[in-house]
Amino acid sequence: MGGPRTIGGVMGRVHGALRPRAPRHDVSKDGGPLQSLSTIRSPLTLSSCSAPVTVLNRGDFCPALTMLPLGHWSCRVAARLSKQPLAISRSYGGPAGPHYDVVIIGGGHAGTEAAAAAARCGSRTLLLTHRVDTIGQMSCNPSFGGIGKGHLMREIDALDGLCSRICDQSGIHYKVLNRRKGPAVWGLRAQIDRKLYKQKMQEEILTTPLLTVKETAVEDLLLTEPDSDHPGKCRVSGVVLEDGSRVYAESVVLTTGTFLRGMILIGLEAYPAGRLGDQSSIGLAQTLENLGFVVGRLKTGTPPRIAKDSINFSILNKHMPDNPSVPFSFLSEAVWLRPEDQLPCYLTHTNSRVEQIVNENIHLNTHVKETTKGPRYCPSIESKVLRFPNRIHQVWLEPEGMDSDLIYPQGLSMTLPPNIQEQLITSIRGLEKAKIVQPGYGVQYDYLDPRQITPSLETHLVQRLFFAGQINGTTGYEEAAAQGIIAGINASLRVHGKPPFVVSRTEGYIGVLIDDLTTLGTSEPYRMFTSRVEFRVSLRPDNADSRLTFRGYSETGCVSQQRYNRASLMKSSLEEGIAVLKSLQFSSYKWKKMIPEAPVSTIKSEPQSALDILKYEEVDMAMLAKVLPEPLTKFAECQELMNRLKIEATYELSLILQQKEIEEVRRDEALQLPKDLDYLTIRDVSLSQEVREKLHSSRPQTIGAASRIPGITPAAIVNLLRFVKTTKHKKESADKLSLNDQYLSKRDRLQKIEL
Amino acid sequence: MGSGRRGSCGKWLRSESRLAGGATDTRRRRVAWLRSREGVLAPSHAMWRCLGALVSGLAQNARLRTSLSKRYLCRPASGGRATIFALSSGQGKCGVAVIRISGPASGPALLGLMASKALPQPRVATLRLLQDPGSCEPLDRGLILWFPGPHSFTGEDCAEFHVHGGPAVVSAVLGALGSIPDLRPAEAGEFTKRAFQNGKLSLTEVEGLGDLIHAETEAQRRQALRQLQGELGQLCQGWGETLTTALAHLEAYIDFSEDDNIEEGALQRVDGAVRGLREALLAHLQDARRGQRLRSGAHVVIAGPANAGKSSLINLLSRRPVAIVSPEPGTTRDVVESAVDIGGFPALLSDTAGLRDSPDLVEQEGVRRAQDRLAQADIVLALLDATDLASASSRRFLETVVTPGGPSPPNRRILLVLNKADLLPEGMQLRGPDLPPHLLLSCKTEAGLEAVLASLKRELAAVCGDPSVGPPILTRARHRHHLQNCCEALGRYEQSKGQDLALAAEELRAARKHLGHLTGHVGADDILDVIFRDFCIGK
Repeated sequence: MGGPRTIGGVMGRVHGALRPRAPRHDVSKDGGPLQSLSTIRSPLTLSSCSAPVTVLNRGDFCPALTMLPLGHWSCRVAARLSKQPLAISRSYGGPAGPHYDVVIIGGGHAGTEAAAAAARCGSRTLLLTHRVDTIGQMSCNPSFGGIGKGHLMREIDALDGLCSRICDQSGIHYKVLNRRKGPAVWGLRAQIDRKLYKQKMQEEILTTPLLTVKETAVEDLLLTEPDSDHPGKCRVSGVVLEDGSRVYAESVVLTTGTFLRGMILIGLEAYPAGRLGDQSSIGLAQTLENLGFVVGRLKTGTPPRIAKDSINFSILNKHMPDNPSVPFSFLSEAVWLRPEDQLPCYLTHTNSRVEQIVNENIHLNTHVKETTKGPRYCPSIESKVLRFPNRIHQVWLEPEGMDSDLIYPQGLSMTLPPNIQEQLITSIRGLEKAKIVQPGYGVQYDYLDPRQITPSLETHLVQRLFFAGQINGTTGYEEAAAQGIIAGINASLRVHGKPPFVVSRTEGYIGVLIDDLTTLGTSEPYRMFTSRVEFRVSLRPDNADSRLTFRGYSETGCVSQQRYNRASLMKSSLEEGIAVLKSLQFSSYKWKKMIPEAPVSTIKSEPQSALDILKYEEVDMAMLAKVLPEPLTKFAECQELMNRLKIEATYELSLILQQKEIEEVRRDEALQLPKDLDYLTIRDVSLSQEVREKLHSSRPQTIGAASRIPGITPAAIVNLLRFVKTTKHKKESADKLSLNDQYLSKRDRLQKIEL
Repeated sequence: MGSGRRGSCGKWLRSESRLAGGATDTRRRRVAWLRSREGVLAPSHAMWRCLGALVSGLAQNARLRTSLSKRYLCRPASGGRATIFALSSGQGKCGVAVIRISGPASGPALLGLMASKALPQPRVATLRLLQDPGSCEPLDRGLILWFPGPHSFTGEDCAEFHVHGGPAVVSAVLGALGSIPDLRPAEAGEFTKRAFQNGKLSLTEVEGLGDLIHAETEAQRRQALRQLQGELGQLCQGWGETLTTALAHLEAYIDFSEDDNIEEGALQRVDGAVRGLREALLAHLQDARRGQRLRSGAHVVIAGPANAGKSSLINLLSRRPVAIVSPEPGTTRDVVESAVDIGGFPALLSDTAGLRDSPDLVEQEGVRRAQDRLAQADIVLALLDATDLASASSRRFLETVVTPGGPSPPNRRILLVLNKADLLPEGMQLRGPDLPPHLLLSCKTEAGLEAVLASLKRELAAVCGDPSVGPPILTRARHRHHLQNCCEALGRYEQSKGQDLALAAEELRAARKHLGHLTGHVGADDILDVIFRDFCIGK
């Protein structure tokens, strides 16, 4: 595609970010209209490091995490890296430096997904991380998935993302939550072996075609004049590395986790989260601030880690994994480990002694006392005790890995001084002799108000600069990975001059997550819950592929042919199955005779279809196939197909109803607002100042998004209609709506391919 | 398609079963078939036509009717948008009221109300007897207009009923429409938005509509406020809170019960709350006496500082002594109402307590009620003592009521009247550069009354010409519609909770959404607030 790839032209306009502190960057080749964006600040106020999740990786602070043996793999990584030269600059006349399509800063859960997605989309991608051996590090809980989060993982997988497949190769205790509550809210979850996950992730990242990894800190962003066809006050054109060298890029994705002014708090002590004197991220943080990004502050925490052999498991409630294990990925037939070889979790509870210890020592706790916005939910045992006194609270003892001798006590996040932590832990049943290997602590960090980014995760202020992960105010690996994959895809699409890939909240949890962030912002670490999702019955873990794989394949190229084929086959089989089930109609009497287990009421006189019968809890596809082998046997050959047909039957009526509402929302989302509308100054339109300010800070891209901003009235919406772009695009998307998208277009319909 | 429209109910059912029975039929073809009839013959549409025929038919069909209505009434129509209806004419001097519907179920709804098998000729007015499709009771004889899409105001199938303007008739027709599945009262600006989405409004036409809709929204808000005053309001608020808590606890049980210990008891409490709520709603819907009597007419509120002569004005306008008048400030302590006809427009005058700080508890309550009334007013008659303009109370009234924060919004109509003009020295100019446009009046000598009446009439004409300020029955129809739907959703919750909790939660969400139309929208964040308030969640 004819993107702005004219290197000479681009280079000619590049101006080094002026950095008085680093004279070597002072001189911009041809001078230029962009003034210095980074100015000197006291380095003491900003101490951090540029790698994501490194807050928790400090060698001197988190021995448990960095003590993990690096093994031969890390050596291979290093060897491979050192041999891998950066792409040679193709510039002439401009400053020298390698040139990439997409540069990703950070190798955490957002960064890895972003890098791999950009590369899959065909962009030459560079991943910059402070330490290669921390790529894929799980810095907090040793688990992936859960209710809502499991949904996100299925959607990431539907777009060919990494984390689900890697979890299927590194889990040590797989369990589907909410089994009794209906398949729309099943929560796929697994305890993960930290070491294995990291190792597999690094393998994956280092073998991805078009993806280069470089171990370096990033000092600053290179900025240049904005493209005239997009809003934004400047455009990112690359990054400055710690050694002063430059890497040029068409798009840059920032996934810096909690590095922005990260502070670790424990008891009354506070440490800067990054490495002391690590000046690289000062520049970055300053650049962002000087550019005018609005910054907020959040806090979170992590529990102490306990030595496994110091716990008396024999008196605790043992919880076994599911048998069989349900894999995360649509592509995995099974997980790598047999259920009988998986590790158990244990459950214990807090007690009144715990409460007493917290109350007696609350004065020793800076983290809890401070007014920094914490989540409404209770992040720590201290806040649990303070907000809900006289109760006992669950503590899950989770394994950290197959051969790890650490246990993660989920529910005991705390920031008390270490000696008090020990007192508290040992007052809990089963932990009487427990040894703390690493104390719990709190983290406070800056995040950027996510209303400053578009639904494609590009910033409004700086063209081609994308944010993903905790920098946007979210919490959780899955939330980070979900943003990462979207940012990576869009960074790549932007390079190739293609329209952005936006997941609507009618299409996926990813859409809800990003729409909530970009239209409403967040004042607490944002976590995915199913209760945030309006179309919960439609957006299920089982059908994430039908929702996203086809779009990912045709619009972005981030989905492999294999996955596309599999999803297509599954979709056409489902449609055929539903059609056949509907066509099989018999009287209630006959159904009762064929399937006595089904509580069919014989009073009903109208014939009922097999799909109606499949709705009953007591009936499954295997039973139907047994009594009606002629048309149904072929649908009973694949377990996944049988399960999915059953789920479709369960929700049929609700789905029809939701489809209507979904179309209503999509109609509003097809009405696009211009990106460069200046809400504060537009004339001849009666919008109150309050409405103007709200629109200005959220910059909704569609009428649909605008209508979800609290305080935007129906009248304001009608006033905005006159700005709606009446383009062909709108017409097309409206036409598309009229097609029931449960049904594939001809192009998507595949010839028969064996599963 | 044509045959489907004209065919009998039985035929339709047969064609349906034949279609579904064909083993070679793919679902795709079936959907294509359904879509080709969309807007004309989705199941529920056909049902309406069928039902109409059945209802007027013989008694032996009664059993079949029940089974039909059971099958289709509870079932959502496949595909298509909701069909919306609204009163689109004003009140007052209207001999004829116009009720408009738009959406795919317009045709079937028209057939249902006409008790006819065939739709009238498009865009031609037809005189018909309208009847309630459920009870077959006649509603009115009126004109019917049928605008098949896309040649209609919204681009969708539209219909208009021109009926007699009396509140009873309008109320009955709205009630009948509201009882049809897939039909619901329109939200503010909804007709306009649909027209825009279907390319029926140009950008220039959209300009200015915003103000209109702002007025519409505001008028609906004021109507709702009036309706929600008193007992019904308190009931609705109470129901809203109960339902929000129940929904939040169910959502918590879904989202957090496995990681954080939310005990099973939470679910039982939800069940109990829902059962109780449903019973309360059913009782309310069946008890006709609870239907609050609302008086028609534009609400004109007389407000001003104490002793400005408000009670004198209401007596003057009513031509009878409805309020006690005395030279004592703070004589009026409660709201005094009087229904009058001014220039042919119905108006409900309210005399309110003078706005002032008073140590008297009864008077304080009166002032509070006066402020409530102000918030609901369509027109405010702001009354000041012309001889007392410089006083603190007059100043404050001007600042807070007459010109709060600059120019008042276009929908809030205020007439500033300066009373006691007879006490002003002859030829004296009223000074004060910041005094807004005003009228001079003497309640005592009735000098200036003509001008006040003329202005009031002008304002009333504007207010009454606005369809959304229509009779309160419109608000009541809306209330009933949403309460009914809320109640039905709660019933479905009870059915589905045993099978699938996600489905059950959908029903509670639907119920909450309906109540939200009466008590205010409740978003995901409000639900999360309740969850985090009531449960200890986190890790």
